Amino acid sequence: MIENRPWLTFVSHATLLTGIALVALPVWMALVASTHPASAFGVGHIPLWFGDAGAETWGAVLFDKAGNGVDVPVWFMMLNSLIMALGITFGKIAISLLSAYAIVFFRFPFRNLCFWIIFMTLMLPVEVRIVPTYEVVANLDLLNSYTGLTLPLIASATATFLFRQCFLSIPGELVEAARMDGAGPWRFFFDILLPLSRTNIAALFVILFIYGWNQYLWPLLITTDDAYYTLVMSIKRMLSVTDGDIAWNQIMATTLLAMLPPVAVVIGMQKLFVKGLVDSEK
Amino acid sequence: MTDVILEKVGKTYPNGYHAIPSVDLSIEEGEFIVLVGPSGCGKSTLLRMVAGLESISTGELRIRGERMNEKEPADRDIAMVFQNYALYPHMTVYDNMAYGLKNRGMAKDLIAEKVSDVAAMLGLTELLQRKPRQLSGGQRQRVAMGRAMVRDPKVFLFDEPLSNLDAKLRVQMRVEIRQLQRKLGTTTLYVTHDQVEAMTLADRLVVLNKGKAEQIGTPMDLYNKPATPFVAAFIGSPSMNLLDAHLTEQGITVSDELTLPLSHPHRGAIVWGIRPEHLDVSDEHNADFALRIQAVESLGAETLIHGKVETTSGQGDAMVVRLSGPHLPDINSLMWLKAPAQYWHLFDAVTQQRL
Ligand SMILES: Nc1ncnc2c1ncn2[C@@H]1O[C@H](COP(=O)(O)OP(=O)(O)O)[C@@H](O)[C@H]1O
Ligand SMILES: [Mg+2]
Repeated sequence: MIENRPWLTFVSHATLLTGIALVALPVWMALVASTHPASAFGVGHIPLWFGDAGAETWGAVLFDKAGNGVDVPVWFMMLNSLIMALGITFGKIAISLLSAYAIVFFRFPFRNLCFWIIFMTLMLPVEVRIVPTYEVVANLDLLNSYTGLTLPLIASATATFLFRQCFLSIPGELVEAARMDGAGPWRFFFDILLPLSRTNIAALFVILFIYGWNQYLWPLLITTDDAYYTLVMSIKRMLSVTDGDIAWNQIMATTLLAMLPPVAVVIGMQKLFVKGLVDSEK
Repeated sequence: MTDVILEKVGKTYPNGYHAIPSVDLSIEEGEFIVLVGPSGCGKSTLLRMVAGLESISTGELRIRGERMNEKEPADRDIAMVFQNYALYPHMTVYDNMAYGLKNRGMAKDLIAEKVSDVAAMLGLTELLQRKPRQLSGGQRQRVAMGRAMVRDPKVFLFDEPLSNLDAKLRVQMRVEIRQLQRKLGTTTLYVTHDQVEAMTLADRLVVLNKGKAEQIGTPMDLYNKPATPFVAAFIGSPSMNLLDAHLTEQGITVSDELTLPLSHPHRGAIVWGIRPEHLDVSDEHNADFALRIQAVESLGAETLIHGKVETTSGQGDAMVVRLSGPHLPDINSLMWLKAPAQYWHLFDAVTQQRL
C-alpha cells in the first residue's frame, strides 16, 4: 500500500520520532549522568547536559574494582558475561540443531513423543525450576563455575522448534539428491543443512546472545565468588550500599557498558538477522 | 546385454496403499525407456524404487546382474534428475556438479576435468561460478542433468524433468536429452505423464495404469496395436475414438443401430476404436456413417471436428475427426465418413484385451 497524503506522513513521522525519543531519553540521561560527579545527584535535580567528570568516572569504572563488595573490575565482569552469553548461545544452537536434525530426518521410536517432551519444556524456564536446578548444580559441584553458569540454561525448546520448522521446509527432493550423491548423515548435516540454516542460526544468535547476556537471577544465585560475577547481576549489587552515597555516575557508566555488547551484536548481524526472520534461501 | 531387470517388483506403502502390484521389465543396455501414465498411476513410485529412494516391497531389482534391493541409492551406480531440479541452493554450479564426486573421494583435479568436460557439453562453462538462483529454469535443468552426467552412471533416472519448463523450452530440451542420451549411450529410465514427450523420446514405452504395466513396446507398436482401450486412449492426440459396441454375425453394431460389416468369431460386448486421423471424408453413398458436427477446431495445418454419430434417436456416440489442412464445415451440418477396416481396433469389453 502506498499512500501519499501529507498529513499522514506528518503524523507517522511524529509518532516515530516520539517513539525514538521515549526509547532514547533514558539512554541519553545515563550518558549525561556518567559525566557528573557522584555528588551531583543528591541535590534532587537530574542533569540534562554533560558535566566535566566524564574522564574520571569512566576511568574509575573501567579500571578500578567495582566496589560495594564486588572485588573485580567492570571489564572483568564483562568478560564473565561474555563467556556466559556465548556459552549459552553456542550451546543452545548446537543442542537444538542436533535435536531438530534427529527429529526431522531420522525415524526412531517415540520420535513424536520426544518432540512433544522438548516442546513442553517451553513451560519450564529456569525461573520456574530454579530450586531443583540449583540443587542439581550444587550436587554436581558446579556452583561458581562457567559450566554452572551456562549448562542449565542451554536446553532450548524454542530454538529446537525453530530449526525443526526450518528443516521441514527443506524440499524432500534436496534430501534425496544428497542421498544419491552419497552424502551420509554427517556430510548432509555439515554440507547441506548447516549452510541452508545459516540465516536462521544468525537470527537465533542475536536473540540468544541477548538472552544470555541479560541473565540475572541464575548467576545471582549460583555465584558467590567474585571471579564469576557477571555484569548485569552486579549492577544491582553496586546499588545496595549501606554506607555513603550511591555512585550514580559510575552505575550509569556501567549500565551503558552493559548495553554495549548486545547493541554491537544487533548492529553487526542486523542484515543476516532480518534475512533469517523474513526469508529463506531454499 | 540386459542392463536393468525388474522382476515382479511391487510396492505397498507403509499406510497400506498398494501402489504397484507387480511389474516385470527388462531394459537393454543403452535403451531409452519411458514410463508413462496419468498422474497418480505409480510412475514415480516405480522410478524411486529403482533409485533406492523407496524400498522394494516385493520382487527383485537387478542392475548388470547384481541384486540391488538392499543397496543404498549412492551404491547403485545410478544418477537421477528431479522434477524441481533439487540443486543445492548454497553451492555454485561447479560445486553442485562436483559434490557427488567429492563424496566418492575422487581426486580434485580429476573432478575439475570431468566437470569442465560435462559443462562444455551442456554449454554451462560460463555459468560454473553462479548460484542456482541466478540461473533460468532451462539452465537449472541443464545443471541438474550435468550433475547426473558427471557421475558417469550405469543408469539415468528422470522424473518428469521438463514439467516446469515453458512449452518451447520443453521441446528444445526434449530433443537435447535424446541427443545426449544417444551420444553417451547410457541406459535411461524416464518418467512423464505427457504422451508426446513419451512417444518422441522412447525406444520403448511402458504404459502404467493404476500401478499395472498395461503395455510395453515401441512407440509405433503402441500406436498401431494398443493392447487395451486404456493404451489406445492414452497414446495419440487427439485420443482414439472408443465406442461401446456389439459384435454379432452381421458385424459390429455401434450406437445401437449402426452396423459395420465384419466377420469375426468373437461375440458380445466390445469396444470399437478408430483414430481421428484414420476417418475419411466420403459421400452419402459410400460412407459408413454420418457425423452431426458440434464443434470445429482449426489449427491451420489440421482441423479437428467434434461431432456425434447421427442416429434416429439422436443419442449417438461422440467422435473426433482429424483432417489435414483447413476446413470450415457448418456447425450442425452432417459429415459423411468412412472408417477403413484396416484401422479398426477391437477390444473385449470385459477383459479389456485386444481382439
Ligand atoms: N509415501 C506414500 N505413502 C502412501 N501413498 C503414496 C506415497 N507416495 C505415493 N503414494 C500414492 O501412490 C500412488 C502413486 O504415486 P506416484 O508414484 O507418485 O504417482 P505418479 O505416477 O503421479 O508419479 C498415488 O496414488 C499416491 O497417492
Ligand atoms: Mg510423479
